[in-house]
Amino acid sequence: MNDLQRLLALANRVFWDRVRSTRMLIMLPILVLFLPGMAWGFSDPNIILPGGHQPDEPMEVLFYASLGVVFGATMCGVLLAFDGVSRDRASGVFELKLAQPMPRTHQALALVLGMWQAIFIPVAVLILLSLAIIRWRLGEWASMADITVHLVATSLILLWYVVFALLASSRTKDQGTAVAFGIGMWFLFTFLWALVTTMVAFASGVTIGEENNVQWLALEGALDLLSPNGVYHHLLETRLVQIDRGIAAWQTWSMAIVWTVLPTWWFVRRMETLQP
Amino acid sequence: MDVSLSLKPGEILGLIGPNGAGKTTLLRTIAGVLPVQDGSIHLGKVEAAALMSAADLRTIVGHMPEQVRWQGRQSVQDALLELAEMRGTSLKRVEGLLRLVGLADRCDTPLSGLSQGMRQRLTLAVALLGAPKVLLLDEPLNGLDPVAATAFVRLLHELTGKGVSIVISSHQVEGLAAITDRIALMHRGQILAVGTLDSVAESLDLPSTIEVTGTGELPNLSWCEHAEKATISDQNTWRVALPESNENLLADFVNRGIEVTSWNPRPPGIVEMLCAATGMDIDEVGLDIASAALLPHRRIGGEEE
Repeated sequence: MNDLQRLLALANRVFWDRVRSTRMLIMLPILVLFLPGMAWGFSDPNIILPGGHQPDEPMEVLFYASLGVVFGATMCGVLLAFDGVSRDRASGVFELKLAQPMPRTHQALALVLGMWQAIFIPVAVLILLSLAIIRWRLGEWASMADITVHLVATSLILLWYVVFALLASSRTKDQGTAVAFGIGMWFLFTFLWALVTTMVAFASGVTIGEENNVQWLALEGALDLLSPNGVYHHLLETRLVQIDRGIAAWQTWSMAIVWTVLPTWWFVRRMETLQP
Repeated sequence: MDVSLSLKPGEILGLIGPNGAGKTTLLRTIAGVLPVQDGSIHLGKVEAAALMSAADLRTIVGHMPEQVRWQGRQSVQDALLELAEMRGTSLKRVEGLLRLVGLADRCDTPLSGLSQGMRQRLTLAVALLGAPKVLLLDEPLNGLDPVAATAFVRLLHELTGKGVSIVISSHQVEGLAAITDRIALMHRGQILAVGTLDSVAESLDLPSTIEVTGTGELPNLSWCEHAEKATISDQNTWRVALPESNENLLADFVNRGIEVTSWNPRPPGIVEMLCAATGMDIDEVGLDIASAALLPHRRIGGEEE
């Protein structure tokens, strides 16, 4: 077994351990409700959204149904990974792992990969189910490009939240603090970011919340690049020509790379210096 | 931490010191879990010793930390396999190790279902995964029943017979005397004395004593130099410790009409050595006091600091 095979084998073990866990069984109905459930709702031919809009294209439905990813899947990702380090650290098993010849960098990457797979694979299956539901309700498949962007963007946002949760987990030895850190981060980006955006807009003299105000849209678009949820929606918007918030696709993808690399690097560095 | 220590192939070294002495930190450093901040660890004969990096250490050292609380639904074999994969050890060896530590019939038991003794044995199996040249055991006897502890000690001797060097850190100090070839007394991050029990006792100027017991009333031992005050241990039985250097002592007892029922020469114990080396009294060592920094600190052969 070479180093890469060893890393993948460990990631595989983490994946099976988490995907078969009791908490996954508890979260699965939530995921079903939030993902295929939302796809079902938003693909209703009679639905009229606030503002009189009616989604009639598969990618539009996927875009609205992505709320399920933001509210449900990311939370499940956090709840799955919040004790990724702290549980072993509290029990003493972490010290045994650190005493093995496998480099800590590889152990950290295996942990990230395994946890991410454990949330992404069930979510991906449910997204594929959502696509079938949309096809059935609208009579039209989403294009391959739309599906690819949706899956890649979803995989990225789940990766970011898993890494945040692992980072929080590596900072604590008790589960309570670890879950508080993880949920706190999720809460900030999911609910409080709108408040941050509003405050910045108010301080900048931009009229708040007006849909057709160019200044507001530009500011909201720019600030969204600083939030994982915002980048996620920017990524989805690259496939929706009718939405333009003044952010180019290359800017969005660049920020996606930053959100991927920086926290992961930080976590790996943290693992390299972590004491049992 | 200021430590200079050598370990010979096939020997058992007992690491002894009160809580906070630095035993666990030293073991973690040798295991490659903590970095060596200043200094080095070498493998081999002095003239051709190879400098060991943390990664090298993790390859040749097996580490058994104190009180690993295995938990969860994962089975015993799966847990061991996970760590074996991190080390590149085969399934066959994992099965062999489970047999060796007496967990072969518990392969499918979930970790949460293990007793403390079984958890200790599983941790030992992990430490033995890579056929280590050096085995570090931190409080290995915790939670083991007497039978398991005896089997454990026998296993350690089997391993030393194969050339494995073992370092044991334990609070059960008196039990260590029978297991170890040498001991190292540690206090506040320093090794105060290293050697066989006899050589450490000698270097600390600790004489052997004679434990005398007898029946009847407490005898007046004011005539006997350096005798401890006799104490009643139970009804009508007294006990006293005398320095071994007193000659013709037994004859003196008989001539004075003192009824002696036992006369046992007793070498200095590890606790006494620890007290002498650290400057702590027996109660303080026993309680592993938090105010250790306030106590005199004596280097072997040196003055109090």
